[in-house]
This record gives sequence, structure tokens and C-alpha cells, in this order.
Amino acid sequence: MGNSELEQLISLQDLDLMIEESEEVEKLGFSITGVSQLKIAREELAAKISKPLLYRYERLRKKLKRAIVPVKNDICLGCFLHQPTSIGAQGREGVDLFTCENCGRMLYWLD
Amino acid sequence: MQKHELRDHLRKALFIPSMKARTKEQALEELLDLFVAEKYVKNKQLVLEMLKQRELLGSTSLGKGVAVPHGRTTATADVIIAFGRSEKGVDFDASDKNPVTLFFMVIAPHNDEGNIYLPILGTLVIILKDAKKRHALNKVETFEELVALIDGE
Ligand SMILES: [Zn+2]
Repeated sequence: MGNSELEQLISLQDLDLMIEESEEVEKLGFSITGVSQLKIAREELAAKISKPLLYRYERLRKKLKRAIVPVKNDICLGCFLHQPTSIGAQGREGVDLFTCENCGRMLYWLD
Repeated sequence: MQKHELRDHLRKALFIPSMKARTKEQALEELLDLFVAEKYVKNKQLVLEMLKQRELLGSTSLGKGVAVPHGRTTATADVIIAFGRSEKGVDFDASDKNPVTLFFMVIAPHNDEGNIYLPILGTLVIILKDAKKRHALNKVETFEELVALIDGE
């Protein structure tokens, strides 16, 4: 999996939450007119992602709400478990995707 | 939400008293660049894409020359607000067609501590409905003036 596929998954997750939260945002006073347009964009993006990865994403989201979570200062921001120092910047080289051993979410390093 | 809590999410480095942007996309990018420079956002393209998609959902302009572009992204860990002021104004597809001169950009993670993201957006909407506040915000030159205005009743 290339880095761009992880980024596509992140965009998908951001879009999914945006669609889910649109009613709440509308209640605050924003004009929401394009939900159906955004749902189409969501499906177009999902179609670009490989089936097994998309399936894994959907399953994780169903179970844990967020499938991909940021890692900051080596801490998984899904479950707050400290990640082994062996997956520092060097340990991540050449590896496409890491999963938190504790919560099972896919990880995205912010630093 | 208390207004001082809003202040906690503003940053001096994320303040532009005179924006250069002339288009909607340029305005989004100019504000987002501040987050990137201060390392609140790691991947600019990912977040820019998210902000543009948010505009597809409906313009984040609230009319009367103000806009609150916002969104949650996996590519950040903090709830941060940037402020920008444009003297000439930017066409932001506002329903009242007015060019936007005041921008508050709010970027948040999916899971924010204390669930403050939506209350922050709501508080901004309330502040920006106040014509006197808008008038004063259109004149701010310094970050300290901005904070004082946000804090003041
Ligand atoms: Zn975890």
C-alpha cells in the first residue's frame, strides 16, 4: 500500500464524519445544501481504495467509530497507548501501514 | 461555552490583519498555511481537500461579510482557530452575495478533548451576529485587540 492510499483513507474518514455531523453544524446556523453531492464524492473516493482496505476501514469504523487515528509523541490518540519506540521515524520507513496493538486502529503519524 | 475558552484556541501566529487572497480557494489556503507553518497540521493537501469539500456541503460564509471555514481532520491533534481580515473582501459564495472581510478558520481532530469543537463554532456564530462586534473586528490590527474583542461583552 502506498502512502497515498493511507491519505485516501484519511480523506474518506474526514468526509464520512463531515456527512454525519452536517445536521449538527446546520443547527449552529450554517447553510447546508450539498449533502447528496458530498455523498457522491464519498462514493467516488471509496471506489479508488482497494477492497480489502476499504473493508477493514468500514469494519473498524463500525466497531470503534474511528478507523484511523493520529499518533503524536508516540501516543495512539485512539486509546492513548504509548507505541513501541522501535516504530519511530526510522522504524516506519518502508512499512506501509501500522496498527495499534492495543486498540487495533490504523495509525497516522503527525510527527 | 465561555468566551475565554474560545481565546484559548486562538494563536498569535495564526493571525493575519491583512489577507492577500482574492478568491475563495486562495483564502482557504492562506489561512491553512498558518496551521502548516506552526505544525498544527502535518499534511496541507489533505486538509485543504477537506476544507474544499466542506464548502461543497454549503458555503461556510454566514453572510454580512463573515465566514467560518471549518472541519475535522485526522491530520491534526488540536482544536485551533486562525483569524484573518481582508480589506477588499473575498467572494465566498455567501447567500447574501457580500464579499467576506472576516475569517475565523477552525480546524479540529475527530475526537477533541471535552467536545469543544461544535460549541466553539456555535460561539463564533453568536459573536459574529453582533453588528458592533463585526464592525470592531473589521478594524483590528493586532492579536491583542482581537483577543480583547472576543473576551469583551
Ligand atoms: Zn490505540
